[in-house]
Amino acid sequence: MTERMVGIGAGAKELATEDMILNIGPQHPSTHGVLRLRLTLDGERISAAEPVIGYMHRGAEKLFEVRDYRQILVLANRHDWLSAFANELGVVLAVERMLGMEVPVRAVWARTLLAELNRVLNHLMFLGSYPLELGAITPVFYAFRERETIQAVMEEISGGRMHYMFNRVGGLKDDLPEGWLDRTSRAVADVRRRLPDIENLLLGNDIFRARTVGVGVLDRDTIMQYGVSGPIARASGVDFDLRRDEPYLAYGELPVKVITQSAGDCHARFLVLLEQVKVSLDLADACLDRLRELPPGPINQRLPKVLKVPEGHTYAWTESPLGINGYYLVSRGEKTPWRLKLRSASFNNIQVLREMLPGHLVADMVAILGSMFFVVGDIDK
Amino acid sequence: MAHIPGVGLAKGLSVTLRHMLSRSVTQQYPEVHPDLPARSRGVIALVEENCTVCMLCARECPDWCIYIDSHKETLPAPEGGRPRARNALDRFAIDFSLCMYCGICIEVCPFDALFWSPEFEYAEHDIRNLLHEKDRLREWVETVPPPPAHDAAADPPKELAAAARPPRPAPAAPRDPAAEEPPPPKERPRSTAGPSAGHAAVRAIKPPGALPKKESSTGRPADDPLSTESRSGSAPDPAPRKSRPQESSEPREPEEEP
Repeated sequence: MTERMVGIGAGAKELATEDMILNIGPQHPSTHGVLRLRLTLDGERISAAEPVIGYMHRGAEKLFEVRDYRQILVLANRHDWLSAFANELGVVLAVERMLGMEVPVRAVWARTLLAELNRVLNHLMFLGSYPLELGAITPVFYAFRERETIQAVMEEISGGRMHYMFNRVGGLKDDLPEGWLDRTSRAVADVRRRLPDIENLLLGNDIFRARTVGVGVLDRDTIMQYGVSGPIARASGVDFDLRRDEPYLAYGELPVKVITQSAGDCHARFLVLLEQVKVSLDLADACLDRLRELPPGPINQRLPKVLKVPEGHTYAWTESPLGINGYYLVSRGEKTPWRLKLRSASFNNIQVLREMLPGHLVADMVAILGSMFFVVGDIDK
Repeated sequence: MAHIPGVGLAKGLSVTLRHMLSRSVTQQYPEVHPDLPARSRGVIALVEENCTVCMLCARECPDWCIYIDSHKETLPAPEGGRPRARNALDRFAIDFSLCMYCGICIEVCPFDALFWSPEFEYAEHDIRNLLHEKDRLREWVETVPPPPAHDAAADPPKELAAAARPPRPAPAAPRDPAAEEPPPPKERPRSTAGPSAGHAAVRAIKPPGALPKKESSTGRPADDPLSTESRSGSAPDPAPRKSRPQESSEPREPEEEP
């Protein structure tokens, strides 16, 4: 055993602090998935952060190239498993645009309804899991109770609880079951009635506020540079929502209220999510009313056995629950796409961590990471 | 906002307290079986008799988890005819460890041999046991629920529409006034059988992206059971789904006649 004598002025050599490299993940619970963050720490403070992605890369885009347009949906709804319906939607919208296909009115409204329900499901998941990461265990049970209510109606119509596989080129797979609209109305009303539970539990909570207010502030310029979208961008005052600004489906006829906050911190992001759930529930109700009034009609188009998309390319983008999802479809007239580029929301949203994390404490990293609302499958594709 | 410290905490606790006094929503699963909707995608059931080994399901499966083996049987020549060959199913297996539960196989099956069942309790200790052979797939048939009734504004479920359809669908009727005697309409499907078998490959080459809106008569697959070979071997036939009922009734005809 050696004994070291340290005198005055020895600090420069003997006690020199070194930066520590800390790997968060790929198996860290706060990354809910396999995201890896390579942090350079100066004591407890983060001096540099580098997201290392690709641990869940499944080559989705390459797989799309050897699947026909029905099989693509199976894969497309899996990259972001919390917003499966929204992902399917992007693909079918692109294909329908290339084909110049007219979708039946009932299908358009049903799709809008299901997309909004899917948004509620996605947001509820994060409304539950974010407090969980901050140490509040209870809200996740409330959130999952609401999720269960909506999942029940989603399962009834599509047969799936997460991977709905309900979109088809030209409409939906099956028609609405009898009485489903009423049950959905009831589910939406139930969720709306019980949502204040989560709100009351968290929003005024001093601990929650202490962990989130002023933490992880993201400014408008950074958002513009990194292409951040969705609730995260809106929490920093970027007033952009494709549902209102470039309406697809039936959103053009719906009063889409875009929620924005100006603070840009974790708390604002959480608030945007919470408010968006309410907006989505209202939109779902509007869709339900409309579906009841619509005249009888088909819900899908008859498709040829081999569906070939004409040569050309198109870019369809949708407001997926986590942000903008873009699908760049290039076809050479085959029954498979020549290329289907996927612009997934989480991929862009997560890049900005490099700018956000430096300067924060390691303990805040969890709060920031949780408030970025990403799905690792959506990052790695 | 929270000017008085702790008021938010108290508010949260009041929610918890109220919740503590309300009824629990927990389902005691093994004792209480969940009430699953009819469309639930739990497991795939096979009605073996309906399978004609057309291989559509195995080919359309996005991860190729359906295994089909078959052999050809030659039925003795009926009176004044030639011997008919038909496919007999040897093996039909679905590997549920690979299955993505997308339901494409069930959707493409032209002969209604595959169905969804909401049953889900078939977990295994060994992943290899998730490969369900045809006898196991048959057991699930009993659990297949009837399709749910559709909304008032919707078309009836296609399962019911298919069941209610008369065995000889519409095309027979318009033909009758044109040619009054019974023999010509009887012969017609025979006679088209030859050419259409040859045309199946030709029809597959069509202008890219063209949405075939034409009537079913041209795109019909061969009448001959041999056509399964040409269908699985060469390009899939481009007939629109419209022609399905007519097709499905025809290939069975030679089997029924002898």
